[in-house]
Amino acid sequence: MSAQEIIRARAKELLESGEIATFIGWEAGRFTNQTTPLVITDAADAGKLVFNEYCANTLAKYVTDVLARGKVGLVVRGCDSRAIVRLINDKVIKREDVYLVGVGCPGMKDRKTDEPLKKCTECRHNNPLVFDEMAGENAEKAVPEDRFAEVKEVEAMTAAERTRYFESIYAKCIRCYACRDVCPCCTCRECFVDQRRENWVGKQNNVAENRFYGLTRVMHIGDRCIECGECERVCPMDLPLMKLNRKVIQDMNDLFGEFESGLVISAEPSVLTTYELTDREEFM
Amino acid sequence: MLLSKQNLMPLLNSLASDVDVFVPTTIDGVKKFARLADGVEPDFDMINTTMPPKDLLFPQTQKMYHFDVDKNGSYHIHEYDESREQIVFGIRPCDMRSIVCLDEVFLTKGFVDEFYANAREKLLTVSIGCTQAAETCFCTSMGVDPIYAPNADVMLQDTGDAYKVTAQTPKGEAAVSAWSEFLSDGDAEPVNCDVTLKVSMEGVVDKLEGMYDSPIWENLSIKCLNCGTCTYVCPTCHCFDISQENRKKDGVRFRCWDSCMFSEYTAMAGGHNPRPEKLERERNRFMHKLNFFERRYGMSLCVGCGRCVEKCPVALDITRLIDDIGSYEVAPASAE
Amino acid sequence: MAIEISHGCAKGERPLIPQVCRVTEITQETPDVKSFRLVTLDGKKPFDCEPGQLGMFGLLSYGECMFVVSAQSDEWVQFTVKKVGLVTEQLHNLSVGDEVSLRGPYGNWWPTESCRGKDMLFIAGGIGLPPVRSFLLYCLEHREDYGRIDLVYSGSKYDDLVFKEQLFDIWPNEPDMHVHVSLYHEDPKHPEWKGDIGYTAPYLETLDLGPEDGNRVAVICGGPSLSRTCRESLLKAGFDEGNILTTLEMRMKCGVGKCGRCNMGGHFICLDGPIFSLAEIATMHSDV
Repeated sequence: MSAQEIIRARAKELLESGEIATFIGWEAGRFTNQTTPLVITDAADAGKLVFNEYCANTLAKYVTDVLARGKVGLVVRGCDSRAIVRLINDKVIKREDVYLVGVGCPGMKDRKTDEPLKKCTECRHNNPLVFDEMAGENAEKAVPEDRFAEVKEVEAMTAAERTRYFESIYAKCIRCYACRDVCPCCTCRECFVDQRRENWVGKQNNVAENRFYGLTRVMHIGDRCIECGECERVCPMDLPLMKLNRKVIQDMNDLFGEFESGLVISAEPSVLTTYELTDREEFM
Repeated sequence: MLLSKQNLMPLLNSLASDVDVFVPTTIDGVKKFARLADGVEPDFDMINTTMPPKDLLFPQTQKMYHFDVDKNGSYHIHEYDESREQIVFGIRPCDMRSIVCLDEVFLTKGFVDEFYANAREKLLTVSIGCTQAAETCFCTSMGVDPIYAPNADVMLQDTGDAYKVTAQTPKGEAAVSAWSEFLSDGDAEPVNCDVTLKVSMEGVVDKLEGMYDSPIWENLSIKCLNCGTCTYVCPTCHCFDISQENRKKDGVRFRCWDSCMFSEYTAMAGGHNPRPEKLERERNRFMHKLNFFERRYGMSLCVGCGRCVEKCPVALDITRLIDDIGSYEVAPASAE
Repeated sequence: MAIEISHGCAKGERPLIPQVCRVTEITQETPDVKSFRLVTLDGKKPFDCEPGQLGMFGLLSYGECMFVVSAQSDEWVQFTVKKVGLVTEQLHNLSVGDEVSLRGPYGNWWPTESCRGKDMLFIAGGIGLPPVRSFLLYCLEHREDYGRIDLVYSGSKYDDLVFKEQLFDIWPNEPDMHVHVSLYHEDPKHPEWKGDIGYTAPYLETLDLGPEDGNRVAVICGGPSLSRTCRESLLKAGFDEGNILTTLEMRMKCGVGKCGRCNMGGHFICLDGPIFSLAEIATMHSDV
């Protein structure tokens, strides 16, 4: 059986048995090779589920929307499973809230160019890290040699070049907040940009406000970013957001030792929420 | 009248020496209308820009007035009028239709929005008919002709080596008479544009009247992320916020694009929010596009440009919704 | 006979630009409600308006909020403001003589004409009284044009009741006016309270104020639950939906039906409202 057939069969069984209330996967969109997230509660809809190499969206963020109905089943690849781990470690959901049908991911393709998605070429954990069962085998995928290749491009710039570079990025931002809304780390009940009372960020669209939003977000998800690359993929203005995320990750690696977010379920606080007397502090 | 394609750039350069001419182009990777200047390459073969041209009339951030205090401590308000003569050259018929919608909103129903009105009066619209459609284009289903924009001041239609030029308004006639050195007499048949994506709007407006509590909205909204992408790339979305920034008693009050997708949009000071969840917000957005606006202004607020279909992060697709509404069976009213 | 509401609202030029006004009188109505009288800098009435219309009142440095003009004379307009958010908190810091921003009037008004000759039943809770009072004051000014007047008003605590002087000393002495006040709960700070205890709708039902064959018009303003329950009580008592009027509130920014957020279906509260009859609301797609 193909992974898609297993996913359909298991979604149907899990919904019929009442073990889960909702199942999240993908369905086909209107256009060739287009997929879109699908959230179903009726076992009769399981036949709509698809799994192919064009499943670009991650799914974990939807869990919180439908959790009130009961346990949620969903398909997880490496990135989805890390997002689930993130949500559990951030105490947004519990492990027992979700039933995870793992699937090996060969890396997804852009439906228009048929080229691998950038986020997938950069992915280091394509197979699920946490799951309740696997729909088929793990998949093989090349792991990038240098996790921080893009960061080096920015670091090679002079200060003036870098200023211009950031300005050109944030001159384009339209502040649609898609990067925030797709992010499994962005789970604040009220985002700082919506706190109009405090007015942390002005509502004018200009480089200063946009950059303040963008960089604050980068710092806020700094030690939790699971590098799924969804923010960059969904950005309608194609801002190179992962460059910024990885710059922060690289600095943290340098300061506190190599780590990756969302690999294991753990009650340990994340890097930036702990303090040890031996921590390096020359940046203070 | 014909404008040979060889004469197009000379005409544009001549126009740009007097006024700001906005053309479709790609700047830092973003397809949008930008002011023709050194280094800006117009691209009239681009099917559609990512960002709509609405910001020429309704900027994402628009200063309305600034305020300050005099030496007696008394406030004074100083209005801004930053409107200036502008030409938008190469605007597509779908985007021209969006200006019909914006005109209705900002210029009718008792109040004229002076900021919009000033900019509108000073804008010359030169539309270029499409010769090819993107897979997401569905303008014909929304009553838009891809090769003809009836409300453009000047209509250019591609005939192969030249554009057929038609002045359609007094403003357009004045403009075209000044372009005479670039034009030649003659007529030619415009190239057609085949729009393959079609949806049926038949009965949709009326059907929606009875669908406010339909499960269709739950199924639709569940995948929505509540970002503002669809509203910001939409050529007709026009909601705005009014806010201010100040240093002590001097400051500026401005308006800026806002999005009905954001929870903060309708959140009231006391904490109540009449549209608290994405279901209510999605329903309001699509009802506004397909029903409310039709009821109020007699036209659809969707022009079929396909930008939201193209850019939605989760491929939430208004054309599929229209299909779903079409095939939705409204429960018969129970016998009283 | 249903009441006819005019939806031909205010018209005006430069609708988004405020005028600078001055505060001439401040009344502390409750611990968190104040009323402000405003005039232009040269001492005139800022604008002429009908009872029930809206004004955008604020501070240039903080923002502006929409309020119903709670009272007016030939010289001034008044707004009654509860402290609930950023701007209203700042408004509460104002002193007499301070300068504020004001634009308007916006929206439609109470149907003073088509209610002529009817008995009036005003129902309000908490800070819902000021909008209703604009109509009530009009009726009292034109006393001979209206029949019996009832006011049913409730607050969660005694201290939350606004306009206490009018409520307890002035209005009960107006000819054929009957004031009924209840508190939602026993108020430990005011054990002397001898009036009724209870929520507005059940209290309203005890008063036995019927539709009088369509000759009584009910006017409601209160929070979502008060509005819903009182509406149900009135319908149960036989009121026609067309004879139940209310003034609606949503977040507003422009006041002229353009910024989008206060829509109920294809209608805008700031422009087509804020005043609607239940019969009208029933035809709208409302999220309110």
